[in-house]
Amino acid sequence: MPESPTHPQPPTIWSPEAIKALFDESGGYVDSRIYTDTGIYELEQELIFGRSWLMLGHETHIPKPGDFLSTYMGEDPVIMIRQKDASIRVFLNQCRHRGMRICREDLGNAKSFTCAYHGWAYDAKGTLVSVPFEQRAYGTCLNKAEWSPRQARVETYRGLVFANWDQEAPSLAEWFSDAGSYLDFMLDRSEEGTEVIGGIQKWIVPCNWKFAAEQFVSDFYHAGTVAHLSGLTAGLPDDVELADIEMPNEGIQFRSEWGGHGSGFLLRNPSMLSSVMGPEVAKFWMDSPHAEEAERRLGRAEYARHPVGNHITIFPTMSALPGVNSVRTWHPRGPEETEIWVFTVVDKSAPAEIKELYRRQNIRTFSAGGVFEQDDGETWVEIQRVLRGYQARKTQFNVQMGTNMHRSDDPVFPGRIGYVYSEDAARGFYSHWQRMLTERSWRTLAPPSPAIAAE
Amino acid sequence: MPTMLKEPVAAFDPTKVGVDLQHEIEQFYYREAALLDRREFKAWLSLLAEDLRYFMPLRMSRMNRFDDKEFSDDNEYASFDEDIVAMRGRIRKVLTDFSWSENPYSKTRHLVSNVIVEPLDDEPGTYKVHSAFVTYRNRAERQVDIWTGERRDVIRRAANPYGFEISKRTILIDQSTLLANNLSIFF
Repeated sequence: MPESPTHPQPPTIWSPEAIKALFDESGGYVDSRIYTDTGIYELEQELIFGRSWLMLGHETHIPKPGDFLSTYMGEDPVIMIRQKDASIRVFLNQCRHRGMRICREDLGNAKSFTCAYHGWAYDAKGTLVSVPFEQRAYGTCLNKAEWSPRQARVETYRGLVFANWDQEAPSLAEWFSDAGSYLDFMLDRSEEGTEVIGGIQKWIVPCNWKFAAEQFVSDFYHAGTVAHLSGLTAGLPDDVELADIEMPNEGIQFRSEWGGHGSGFLLRNPSMLSSVMGPEVAKFWMDSPHAEEAERRLGRAEYARHPVGNHITIFPTMSALPGVNSVRTWHPRGPEETEIWVFTVVDKSAPAEIKELYRRQNIRTFSAGGVFEQDDGETWVEIQRVLRGYQARKTQFNVQMGTNMHRSDDPVFPGRIGYVYSEDAARGFYSHWQRMLTERSWRTLAPPSPAIAAE
Repeated sequence: MPTMLKEPVAAFDPTKVGVDLQHEIEQFYYREAALLDRREFKAWLSLLAEDLRYFMPLRMSRMNRFDDKEFSDDNEYASFDEDIVAMRGRIRKVLTDFSWSENPYSKTRHLVSNVIVEPLDDEPGTYKVHSAFVTYRNRAERQVDIWTGERRDVIRRAANPYGFEISKRTILIDQSTLLANNLSIFF
């Protein structure tokens, strides 16, 4: 099998020592060049996007054999396709002859993909099956078995489909470390699990992907202070003033033990979910047969019903808003651009009118035109514009919030937690980012094995 | 809306749409556009009917034989799918001092053209109006966004200074991946 050569290392000034100077957990700063530098970006493509579990969609996007989505792993176009045996394959959307994109539509159902350039055809498994004029033009020199698109590893977690190019990377379950239960808050509330509301909204934000991923890993601060007050205003009934809304001040942030994931949410603030998603959805989530089932499955009422306004990032680029049930991937498009792909999940067992409210309220709140998300698009873009400045790029940013204020002894919320307004999870995110760029071997990078820890 | 693009273009019937009616409806659209560009958002809101649906489906790239599925369906994700209550909320938001995506305001220009009027026979004073738009936006110092597309409206005569209200607006935008950092303006 002609192995593709390893991606040549780009000329870079970024030695491991130089990368270690870009973020200092104890000093609580990050060097702003991590958001602008092309050498760093290329290293990220190789060492992060080439080795991480990347979320591509939901199983119900492709229910039937042959159903496929055209999507991306980092900047690489891939086809995610359902097989006859119900498994899912993900392979590079690139013909092995001259590199043409072999599937040129966003979604559909296919038995095969025929390249539009010279007609090389691949079956649904991604195997090269037909080459025009094979006998007369190639004679015996072409071994079709060696020239199929490159396949990624695929694993799913409660309906979400992830893929990874790296055969040596830990399993998806290991990758999640102790963050899975914070995602279960959205994905494991009912026996039947979740399904997707059809359609993926895609748009471009000219900013580095880490601004988005970091905000969803760690930043409730912006939502509870100034960034999203006007979004809350949009959801208020006519007779309620913003001053009547209980502003968030109680809640928890979680930082995963390994892997750079994190989550945060409010407690004892039921009006917050209602003002974002409306009273019917809030009742469904907190006080309904569905909430009772969620409480049975997830364990405790404080866990199943009380958290609201949740945000979560699974490193590097999968984020979600459990409760709102917005799920997204931040696809990098160069150091200064991100393509946002958003969809909504809802419990399969939810009543039709609740599903419809989830659809409408996601469009209204967290979409390109959503009354909350439209303001994020403004902020991240302005930060990136400022970073055109040489002096701006020589400036360090502060990530000190919540330093040494974490604990790990909560009876309800597992893992390392602290006050909701914190940057502990952001420090975890950048710390893992730094490790992935400086440790090339899984021998040092892999999560601590429970078996070894127990010995 | 699987058949969205397939809807036939109505033949021109001068006995149904005379010069006066065409002129009247075009003048309504010019004034609606002026309200948006002059940021008279409350006045614009007053042109939206109680039974409003303000809808912008997603648009996808499909092979030609599936082009009837180019737009997301009624029960799927969309860029907008708002009723009058949601639109009141959006106007309330944009009029706060802390709606950062529109403070400072975008500089916009809504151009409306290719207006095709079709009276609805069973609803006197109600018209199906298809039109083309070019909407330009400048934000901050150098950001420029240009959207083109088609509006498929249902408007009806109403007792307001501009003569009509908008009952349905379906916006067919000519982009699949949206090439702007947000959709914080009105279409």
